Amino acid sequence: MATGPLHQPTSLRLRRLWRTSGAAYLFILPTFVLCVIFILYPFASSFYLSLTDWDGARAVKNFIGLGNYFRLVQDRLLWQSLQNNVIWMVLGSAIPISLGLTLALLLWSRPRGFLTFRTLFFMPQIVGWAVTGIIWANIYRARRGVLPQLGQTFDWDFLKLSFLANPDLALYAVLLAAIWFSIGFFFVILLAGLQNVDMELIDAAKIDGANAAQRLWHVVIPQLSHVITVVTVLALIGGLKVFDIIWTMTRGGPGNATEVIGTYTYKKAFVESSVGYGAALSMVMALLALITSLVFLRIRERGQQ
Amino acid sequence: MIYREGKARALEGERSPARKRLRPGHLGSETLRYLVLLAFLVFFMLPILSFVLWAFKTEAEIATAPFAIPANPEWENLARAWTVGRFSRYLPNTILYAIAVVTTVCFLSCLAGYALARLPFYGRTVFLVIILVGLIVPFEAIMIPLYYLVRDLHMLGTYWAFIVPAAALGLPFGTFLISAFFRSLPKELGDAGRIDGCGEWGVFWHVMLPLAKPGLTTLAVFQFIWTWNAFLLPLVLVQRDELRPVSLALLFFQDRFTADRGMIAAGILLTIAPLIFVYILLQRQFIEGVTAGAVK
Repeated sequence: MATGPLHQPTSLRLRRLWRTSGAAYLFILPTFVLCVIFILYPFASSFYLSLTDWDGARAVKNFIGLGNYFRLVQDRLLWQSLQNNVIWMVLGSAIPISLGLTLALLLWSRPRGFLTFRTLFFMPQIVGWAVTGIIWANIYRARRGVLPQLGQTFDWDFLKLSFLANPDLALYAVLLAAIWFSIGFFFVILLAGLQNVDMELIDAAKIDGANAAQRLWHVVIPQLSHVITVVTVLALIGGLKVFDIIWTMTRGGPGNATEVIGTYTYKKAFVESSVGYGAALSMVMALLALITSLVFLRIRERGQQ
Repeated sequence: MIYREGKARALEGERSPARKRLRPGHLGSETLRYLVLLAFLVFFMLPILSFVLWAFKTEAEIATAPFAIPANPEWENLARAWTVGRFSRYLPNTILYAIAVVTTVCFLSCLAGYALARLPFYGRTVFLVIILVGLIVPFEAIMIPLYYLVRDLHMLGTYWAFIVPAAALGLPFGTFLISAFFRSLPKELGDAGRIDGCGEWGVFWHVMLPLAKPGLTTLAVFQFIWTWNAFLLPLVLVQRDELRPVSLALLFFQDRFTADRGMIAAGILLTIAPLIFVYILLQRQFIEGVTAGAVK
């Protein structure tokens, strides 16, 4: 890290380094040490473990090169998990973002009750992913859940289905809970974004005879495009990393119907003790998150110019 | 990406131009607007409210009238969740975790964020890259070696197993947020302090830190929700039952008392009541904190 001129004796260089940077080093030291030990080292170690066949117990870790990676290309369960992640990313971004935008537009003019609506719409975010999962699991639970009971009362057969036990419905049932949780988040960000929309342009469009839908589509949305992109990328990353709500509702089941890469990785590493293979799976997720994040940073940069 | 509420407030102050210009002329669309808003209100609140009510109902009442307000509230559920369900143990755990992690992250992020924003040093880029990696890497990608690391450091089975990694994981975002905040303050402030003979520490402690309060509150609130609701981290690292935080305990609780919905509801109530209480008090900071957390 020392970059002082090379011809100086080391002691002088160090003293100089201390004089210019010493204070800053003391300020960053704890953060630096903690991040290196608890983030950087485990990350590098994950990569190393992904090249071994370690089972978490043996003293020796056999180096098997890219063996785990060849195996995961052919792993049907991984592809099924990734497919569920993709469904989650598409529906889990499109639906809550459009509903969040609808709510933000309805409250844009700060009508009566604005604060109450905002406070309560945001409430699921406070409750958190895990509790959301547990609440909704009890809403769906076969026979004893809220929905099956409603079905009983009104004799609606559809509601009597046990959503979480049905492989065709489970993923969408969990997604509905996730949508309930995330609308408030997108709503709040989009509402903040709307405060920056130029009112003059809307007036101009009005004078030119644009109706409400045209004003929304041609004037408001283009000005919001940056915020919408940011929010979309965040939703995509969220869809990639999803774990808590699936674990609390179905643990990836029934069968592997709601398996995503997060739950699959956890099972491999901590339930089946295939540590090496689990590490390779976690590298796949890191890579996908990295790509999505880089896209995000690019977009932010472009937005700031 | 921190949208300040200030702008919205300014808008409100001048009787919001949006209000005047977008107000639909006729009553019909206004009614429609409120119908949609109320429908969503029911959708968001019904699950939470019904569980709060269940906590005060007997099993028979839950089965016959799931949405009715209980005639005479049943305190037995809460009492049993507290004793049999061991929330007397889990809730203090969570409070301890929250206090320890929030104070550590806030304090260290302030130090590092200040250095990053205002002090010159060699190796800045290296430090920035570390922060950036910390922001991007998903927890799933480090959790496996983290478990073995925590085990080898003999922290498994102690409170440290949660506190230290959780604090470390909060630091990249904290440092990032606070340094952005310090950068927005005028540079001259620090120079004035330096001329008055404060050392770097004095400038930081007496001049800069008090000014960073709004940014710090946002960070504290964000970190508080994150720690309170943390799930995967304790699932991997906290394996002894008596050290579990509420969010994780609730999962095992649900498996153990599946049939006892009143008690599960009581457990949920005990988990979210403190959060909701703080949320109502510090609403604006919560919304700002989570919006700022959008970066994470």
